[in-house]
Amino acid sequence: MLDFNALTSENNTSIQALSGTVLKQINTQISNQINTGVLVLDAEFNIVLWNRFLQVHTDKDAANIIGQSIFIAFPELPERWLSRKLSAVLQLNTPSFCSWQQRHHLFELPHTRQITTDSEFMAQNCTFLPIDTDCEHKHICILIEDVTDVCHYQGQLQKTLAELAQMSRIDGLTQIYNRRHWQDSLVQEYAKSRRHSKNLSLIMLDLDHFKLLNDNYGHQCGDMVLIEISALISSLLRVEDIFGRYGGEEFAIILPETNLTGAMELAQRICHSIAKAPLQYNGQVIKVTVSLGVAPLSKQTSSYEELITHADLALYQAKAQGRNQVCSATNMATA
Amino acid sequence: MSEFHLTEDQQDCLQELINIAMGQASDQLARYLDTFVYLKVPSIESIDAKDLLQTLSQQQNTMAVVSQGFFGYEGIRGEALLSYQEEDSGRIGDLLGYEPDELSQDEQLIDISSILTTTFLNVFARQIDNQMSYNAPKLLPSVQNCLSEHLQEMTFNWDLALKININYQVTDYSFNCNMILLIPETAIINIKKVLDRILAEF
Repeated sequence: MLDFNALTSENNTSIQALSGTVLKQINTQISNQINTGVLVLDAEFNIVLWNRFLQVHTDKDAANIIGQSIFIAFPELPERWLSRKLSAVLQLNTPSFCSWQQRHHLFELPHTRQITTDSEFMAQNCTFLPIDTDCEHKHICILIEDVTDVCHYQGQLQKTLAELAQMSRIDGLTQIYNRRHWQDSLVQEYAKSRRHSKNLSLIMLDLDHFKLLNDNYGHQCGDMVLIEISALISSLLRVEDIFGRYGGEEFAIILPETNLTGAMELAQRICHSIAKAPLQYNGQVIKVTVSLGVAPLSKQTSSYEELITHADLALYQAKAQGRNQVCSATNMATA
Repeated sequence: MSEFHLTEDQQDCLQELINIAMGQASDQLARYLDTFVYLKVPSIESIDAKDLLQTLSQQQNTMAVVSQGFFGYEGIRGEALLSYQEEDSGRIGDLLGYEPDELSQDEQLIDISSILTTTFLNVFARQIDNQMSYNAPKLLPSVQNCLSEHLQEMTFNWDLALKININYQVTDYSFNCNMILLIPETAIINIKKVLDRILAEF
């Protein structure tokens, strides 16, 4: 069925010496050995020819298939869509394509990696070619390539990329956002609030006497405290709040659409919850407190960096006033 | 003027071949799509790889670009890039005669691109006694960053390309798209040979 003459140069004498029968035998064997499904339809979309690849993959009886409408032989095909596509091939005399990226498969065929991949059917790239013969009507050749491997590896790659993207945003120890992602978020939230004239507040908080804790109980205890405090604070936040680890024992929370009163309430709640939290390490009760600085976005705030500075100053004031408390930037003389 | 530039005669000849091909292609498309397809007179220019990068990345509101390679006898080959604007591609499925739930937006773009590219190039190939084969069309991922990346990769292979710009409009469906055929420098030499042969026959 392959036109072997078309594949070779016409003045190649050794090929020309082959008889028509031999050429036909070669063609038949090639078409039956290639790992691509070949299906030929007439202009009414009845199957006139198929190759061994399809025969073994569909496990259908050749005697019933030939002459049958493709939509009866393969009832899984989307008839209206495919008819329109095939009409384009006939009418425009142009090839048409269907990629696994848009449609995983057209024909429900099994594939050879049933165990090592999770796709039920063979992923396919299909090509529809117009075929001109001596026959009055045109034919269409459908080539069906098995791209299950490509599809599988692409899936793995996407998954890995998503994991990497997630990892690059997360602080390994506390599993909350890292400094970089937190700051990127602040840049966005700042711009959003400015554009839509919405409230925005910032809380910066720092564990009190963290160095002492590390010195007395060891760094593993310090790590445990960071993890527990992060989890506790996370449980007090709304989904839209953006919580990140700013530095060693310093944390920061972006509160979109929140005014000073709302931010102060939350800061107080965090302060009290942590002071009461029953933290234990090796059977010993660990007393942890935090100091918090709150800064709301005001008309005078000229940049997101300034918002951080204000929250930081309020945090230092909370520390200076004896720790385990909340200070707001608005109570302070403007720096 | 390098060996890759077209002479005035060659340029005129190519322009004429493309005009004829466009006429026939738009007639075929109009029959198939059952609506009038309007094509502007195409422009042909030789373009430096670096300039191409600039012109294409300047198209701000380009929503999608579909790429399809083509290749024929006598070393005629290149890549067709079809670019779409957000506002001009809302009704492609409708234009193609599909129901809205039958195919995704991506598939609509790929489908119409392939139809426009292959219809035009088939007719063009016939004009020069050639026959084209095509790669499967690919939607280039997230245009804004990747188009220039994609082109940067291409520039490793050539410095100069023949750029043929064709604009398709289907006013009934407010459809508009720009087709750019890029023919890299080695293929330009081959196309020049073909053009010279046609010119000699006149």
